[in-house]
Amino acid sequence: MLWWVGIFIAALLWVLPLGFVVITSLKDEADILGTSLFSLPSVPDWGNYLEALETGGLMRSAGNSLLVSMIKVPLGLLVSASAAFALARIRFQYSGVVLAVIAFGAMVPVQVALAPLFQIMLATDLLNNPLGLILPYIGFGLPYQVFILYGFFRQIPAELDESAVMDGASNARLFFQIILPLARPALAALFILDFVATWNEFGIALVVLQQQESWTVPLAVQGFQSQFTTSYGPINAFTLMSIVPVLIVYLMFQRYFIRGAFAGAVKG
Amino acid sequence: MRARRKTLISGAAAAALLTVSLAACGSGGGSDDSGTTLTYWRLSETNEATGAAFAEVLEQFEADNPGVTIQVEERSTDGHKEALRTALGTSGAPDIYWSWAGPGIGGDFVNNGGSLDLAEYYEEYGWASRFNDVSMSSITQYGGYDGIPSGYSGAGIYYNKQLFADAGITETPETYEELLAAADALKASGTDAIEFGGTVNWHLMRLLDNLLETECGADTFDALVRTEASWADESCVETAFSEFSTWSQDYLIADWASLDDAQANQLLFSGQAAMVIEGSWFPQVLVNNNVDPDDFGVFRFPTGTDRLYGDTSNNYVSATTEHPDEAAAFLDHLTSTDSQTTLSQASGSRSVNVEVPLDTEGGTALDATWGEIFESSEGLYAFNDQNLTLAQTTEYFRILNAVASGDIAAADAGPQFQSFIDQQS
Amino acid sequence: MSSVPAMHTVQTRPRRRAPRLRAALPFLAPALLAYVAFVVFPMAESIRLSFFEWSGFVGAEQTFVGLANYVRLFTQDAVFWTAFGNSVIWVALSLVIPMPISLTLAVALDRRLPGRALFRTVFYVPGVLAAIAVANMWRWIYNPRYGVSEGLAQALGLERLQGIQWLGNADIALFAVFVAFVWQAVGTNMVLFLAGLQAVPPELSEAAELDGAGAWQRFWNVTLPSLRPTMVVVVVLTFIGSIKVFDLIVGMTGGGPAQQTQVLALWSYQQSFTNHQYGVGNAVAVVLLVLTAAVVVPYMFWTARRER
Repeated sequence: MLWWVGIFIAALLWVLPLGFVVITSLKDEADILGTSLFSLPSVPDWGNYLEALETGGLMRSAGNSLLVSMIKVPLGLLVSASAAFALARIRFQYSGVVLAVIAFGAMVPVQVALAPLFQIMLATDLLNNPLGLILPYIGFGLPYQVFILYGFFRQIPAELDESAVMDGASNARLFFQIILPLARPALAALFILDFVATWNEFGIALVVLQQQESWTVPLAVQGFQSQFTTSYGPINAFTLMSIVPVLIVYLMFQRYFIRGAFAGAVKG
Repeated sequence: MRARRKTLISGAAAAALLTVSLAACGSGGGSDDSGTTLTYWRLSETNEATGAAFAEVLEQFEADNPGVTIQVEERSTDGHKEALRTALGTSGAPDIYWSWAGPGIGGDFVNNGGSLDLAEYYEEYGWASRFNDVSMSSITQYGGYDGIPSGYSGAGIYYNKQLFADAGITETPETYEELLAAADALKASGTDAIEFGGTVNWHLMRLLDNLLETECGADTFDALVRTEASWADESCVETAFSEFSTWSQDYLIADWASLDDAQANQLLFSGQAAMVIEGSWFPQVLVNNNVDPDDFGVFRFPTGTDRLYGDTSNNYVSATTEHPDEAAAFLDHLTSTDSQTTLSQASGSRSVNVEVPLDTEGGTALDATWGEIFESSEGLYAFNDQNLTLAQTTEYFRILNAVASGDIAAADAGPQFQSFIDQQS
Repeated sequence: MSSVPAMHTVQTRPRRRAPRLRAALPFLAPALLAYVAFVVFPMAESIRLSFFEWSGFVGAEQTFVGLANYVRLFTQDAVFWTAFGNSVIWVALSLVIPMPISLTLAVALDRRLPGRALFRTVFYVPGVLAAIAVANMWRWIYNPRYGVSEGLAQALGLERLQGIQWLGNADIALFAVFVAFVWQAVGTNMVLFLAGLQAVPPELSEAAELDGAGAWQRFWNVTLPSLRPTMVVVVVLTFIGSIKVFDLIVGMTGGGPAQQTQVLALWSYQQSFTNHQYGVGNAVAVVLLVLTAAVVVPYMFWTARRER
């Protein structure tokens, strides 16, 4: 019981910030400036949401974010998985070194690469193009994914592919028909985690996307905030709407988040 | 079997790459078969009437020039600055951009090859006679013909007439001493004398700039911002910082550091603060915030010099544009007497085109006062974030913010800034 | 986007197809290409640029200046040491504060409590939100006129709480931002600990109980030692995440007031993109890289050796 009360209070504390934002987003300006942060709106006012939608370009940004995520996440995962396959199942003389080098990338702060990345995107004419995000995202997403999948692939019993090889199966067939299906739980977890990470990414997008029409959601959030600083209601409505997609993804695929954490921590 | 799989993989990879590159073409390029698209970056238009007038001017241009489309992109002040700094000189640059003209911003773009020299178009269209001397000198100040005049603005002290009256202030201050006396009177009457937002520093900067002009005078001020005089050695710098410190401790709203400019301005609108230093664009801001402009008056900061605090701004053609002719045609249209008349009537501000008369009827009393201020001023001292280089500006902001919050002593401010300037060169 | 998991146990088996490198290459090539082009090359380029002076404009000259950018950083740049110090403080706080909270929550939520799934969601959800959105939310909460301290002051009648400059006072701004970070970070670590707790063999705890060990002793002597591998992962992840803190600071203070909440990652960005001093900006980035490597590389060697 004591545990429960303690947890309940902590949970209340944790909901509070989000609660303030929800309350504020439903207040009209007079209520926001005239009443306490804690008090509920006299009448829920959905106008803030409309205003935020009309002025902030949220839908366009959501489209950009979706485009980036829908290409980046599967493509990146395929690239990572095939690399992990090569390292874990085929193996060659220096595969351990290659693995270590790739894993090293996980610690490179992205800020180290921002200025050069800007120059690369400039040279390849991918500035202001949501697709200019995809390639660096794949690069920076690799280390973690390769590592996790490497661990998974190593656990699959060797007899499986040996018998397949006896049947004359190629590596490609081994990868697509045996290994990938077996790694489905790990892939699903990584897919979801990566979707959220891609959706939320800010630093690279800040540098690559200068034009409003190419903005992803985090840039739109920041842009709205800096442009309409005193429109407290719409700002909070905008922030809330921007997090709806990841919230939905989280609620739908909760178990994968947990599994993703397991993959990283327990098997380590 | 193996061969087929391999083909499959490379096929898939190729398809993925194709998708990427196709999509890249789709959203990237500036022009297609159906005509030319010019991108134009400018500050966000917050005033409805001016926005509508601008749209009308655009429409007219597109009607006169079939096949040419102007794609306008607007940002807030800081967003616009940062986007320009990042994009200019690159393929991501707009064809045309609006910018402040001072050496720290527009000059930086020009010096780094971000602006196309428009000399041939000045000749072709005979632009030089269209603008006054102040505007033209801002075009030619870097040696070529960079940009076309867009506007000029002054900044002064706006004050709440009622609060002034309540504090027993009957005359607008003519000298710095009178200004201090007014601030004291306001403080005694229980009002915050002046408000600025401090999160991005360039509003509070206006106070320091004016104190520097007041304490140092025109010549020394210019020498300082050109870093020809030493911020460590000129004694007026310390005095200015010390005055600045006094203002921020005694007369400035207490929570300036956590408020941004728009938030702080709300205090002026609601009568909780009496003064602010704002530009000649400010009457529109008042109207947009449902504040009666007649409740406010404006006067030049009593620096003791006759100069106007303000800036000039231009529209520049990007050096990387592929459509310089169309861009020039657009700029010609934008600054033509017809277009400028439309714009000037909507905004109530003065046009850079000398043939466009100021429509005083549509404007507020504040606009009329600005007319007098412009007439009576002699020369210009610009906002310091336009005078100093980018890195110097960042440091100037840090120091002024720290002085205002009491973290750096006024006596240390000048020497600190000077040592920064020294290490840069 | 990334994090470092622990090394996995690997037992090497001889493989049959040779030459294996040729067989592996088609699978490895896309990853290597992306990795080299978008991680390794930019990193190398960043190191190179840190020895040059460059305004960043295309066509502007890059002048080799040797170590001048570093000398400037270390001896003249007042903001650099503030940023350095703040980054160190941030990492230290991140290691000390959210972890015990996460662990406590995990231990609590490992029990069969009513509403356990809901509680877990409540703590975890902030972790999936974009940091920039979190920053916006907390900016509003910290609003000096209408925010939480004003609300509390009204509710509790405490005038002292009124108008606290959460983000405007140089002495507290960094910590105010850190509170938002704790709010966001606790859930993620909690889930990791929960996962770790699943791996603690219940027999051990039961045996200890039979020996008459109290709850606290059991936690201290059985649970905590079994959690050590998880702990190491959490520490490393926290370190890597916290040393490059960027979004939250950008969204809440932009490094202000007077650069007092500046951190290395943001100062590097601002030197390059705001001040147009790409040489100095990249020098800051290299410092950040070296700091990270100094901690993480030994860890990688250590785990690799231990696993062998």
